[in-house]
Amino acid sequence: MKLRVQLQCKNLHEYLKELSPEILDRLYNHPATCLAVYRELPSLAKNYVMRMLFLDQPLPQAAVALWVKKDSQKDHDECVSVLAGLRLWHSQQLQGGLQGYILNPVFKDNLRTALLGGGRAWADEGSTLGPDRHARDIESLDRYAMERWEIILQFMVGSPSAVSQDLAQLLVQAGLMKSEAGEAPYITSAGFQFLLLDTASQLWYFTLQYLKTAQSRGMDLVEILSFLFQLSFSSLGRDYSVEGMSESLLTFLQHLREFGLVFQRKRKSRRYYPTRLAITLAAGVASSSSSSNLASSPGTGDAGFIVVETNYRIYAYTNSELQIALVALFSEMLYRFPNVVVAQLTRESVQQAIANGITAQQVLLHWTPVLPPTITDQIRLWELERDRLQFTEGVLYNQFLSQADFEVLRDRAQGLGCLVWQDVAHRVMVVTPQGHSEVKRFWKRQRSHTI
Amino acid sequence: MSLMPNNAPCTPVSAQFTLSKCMDAVMVMGNAHMAMARTNKLAVIASHCQGSHFLYPSKSWSGEDGGGNDVSSSGDGKYELLSAANNLIVEEIRNIMSKIEVTGNSTDTLLAGSLAKALCYIHRLTKELEVGQEIKSRILVVKAAEDCALQYMNFMNVIFAAQKQNILIDACVLDSDSGLLQQACDITGGLYMKIPQKVALAQYLLWVFLPDSEQRSQLVLPPPAHVDYRAACFCHRNLIEIGYVCSVCLSIFCNFSPICTTCETAFKIQLPQIVKPKKKKLKQPM
Repeated sequence: MKLRVQLQCKNLHEYLKELSPEILDRLYNHPATCLAVYRELPSLAKNYVMRMLFLDQPLPQAAVALWVKKDSQKDHDECVSVLAGLRLWHSQQLQGGLQGYILNPVFKDNLRTALLGGGRAWADEGSTLGPDRHARDIESLDRYAMERWEIILQFMVGSPSAVSQDLAQLLVQAGLMKSEAGEAPYITSAGFQFLLLDTASQLWYFTLQYLKTAQSRGMDLVEILSFLFQLSFSSLGRDYSVEGMSESLLTFLQHLREFGLVFQRKRKSRRYYPTRLAITLAAGVASSSSSSNLASSPGTGDAGFIVVETNYRIYAYTNSELQIALVALFSEMLYRFPNVVVAQLTRESVQQAIANGITAQQVLLHWTPVLPPTITDQIRLWELERDRLQFTEGVLYNQFLSQADFEVLRDRAQGLGCLVWQDVAHRVMVVTPQGHSEVKRFWKRQRSHTI
Repeated sequence: MSLMPNNAPCTPVSAQFTLSKCMDAVMVMGNAHMAMARTNKLAVIASHCQGSHFLYPSKSWSGEDGGGNDVSSSGDGKYELLSAANNLIVEEIRNIMSKIEVTGNSTDTLLAGSLAKALCYIHRLTKELEVGQEIKSRILVVKAAEDCALQYMNFMNVIFAAQKQNILIDACVLDSDSGLLQQACDITGGLYMKIPQKVALAQYLLWVFLPDSEQRSQLVLPPPAHVDYRAACFCHRNLIEIGYVCSVCLSIFCNFSPICTTCETAFKIQLPQIVKPKKKKLKQPM
């Protein structure tokens, strides 16, 4: 049985917990990061942080425990562990000897700055550059972002598209594609699952992979992360200046340009526009998506729609190569017209998709929230069919001359713990390959005794 | 969340606590609310003796997307959206303070009207959502002015409308207790609190009024106050305990009147029977 590799999409907190404490403290030195981390906390923890934000002295732990009602004690404990895991608050001993909590001072100061003001500006707002003669409006930014992101996805599916070496390498390192020596990379089962995620999760997964390789490229992780969070809080449609950005940040900006997160007219332009993808990056961190403009299916320039019939036919009204390739993943294509693609869901196609690592759940939920119940049930049945039979290797013993022989050997095999299956009526038994040599030796000894 | 600072222009304020400090606390609360989640929205309405006015979002502001060009940047570490909002609020308050003239010595504010405006705004936002999305709203009233009995009817109508829409009304009272707001909070399920120390307004706002209804069920918060449920009569607006109720429209009066002023139904009251003296037949002398 093949093992299915599940795509692990970590959320922001899990990622941060893996970082070392020094890096975390440096990260919290930027208001944008603090705000992003704050937004990801469970709601009760947010209230705790807000309450302690303006206190300069530690609060006794007993007092904090009294903040919740008795029924919500579990939530309280969860919040305490989350806050401690992210190093947002420390235990400190109070004057009376009791244990108290105090917020991480770096985090506290920077969150206060984000809320109330003061401190350095996050980025130069571009006001020194004057109005942009080639200003882009929001629709063109959206289109640009979706175009670039689709090019990447199409590259994964195998349609020829121009993607830089760097990006191809990143995809291979992320495990989404595999490349044989000298050949073009092709998609893996993890890559299939990636394609079925919604855009925000895809973005976030991709960014995480990029961050992992960042250190090997010689970039400063803290700088990059802070810039990323700052981007996610910027307003759509405004341009920002590249003033004051270091070399590694500029390289990062170019990569972002390729992913479609940022628009820059030319490589040397001094201003850049964040696109909607960048702003929803932080939204992809949590599993609930907020922006309604990004369709849940992987980006398409023109909106299409899909009809799934109860006779297992699929009609996909779309022109996008990507959508068509995705439909072809788990169904058999029947006809293709300029604006429609007709496909059929068959047992073989669905089981092949499942063999590639896509679960029936993903297949169903990806396209429409509402499917005919016959289809959903049948896909589940086909999935379960694969698990109906379980194969175990073994060695068959049959044609025993007498019942007594059979029983003796069977008891011996059972004693050794390698008996897999037996049929007393037909005097047939199956032994595991490992136990086979031992049983064979025993049988030979037995025969030499009796004869 | 809609915030409603409610301050009559001639309310006496103590030396330590001024309108600007109150607005600072309110803005901190608004910032904290918007920082909590990307989808949180905020509206601030100022209520004064001559009307109510939206401080944020104001008419001159073009909206979230693409409106960045005319908004000045903060120039410091504050989150852009928050600094834009704060600047707008400050500007609008300045406009109001310069425009309204204080005539007379009224200490009443048009609170019912402001609440109605807030409800309309929330209603509009709910209508603008996509299918299947929900928004949970609440209104916080920060009140320093006195209660006005004249607004009783409008106020009660607004409260019942809020209850129907499942909108919580919270009240943070600075000076004197307000029976109307107590009733509002009790009916809609919000929190009523009279602040003992005005200087700590920001802390009370953040600790008590920031959590939303889900989180409130988990946290330990001040218990509800005893509510004065006496109704006000329709003729004098006095609070009465026993009165006359019209059986048609259920309006309350303190004195009997033959015609109900609201629905103009005529009522006859049964007067005690006047016994007519029987004419005695004069006996004829024989």
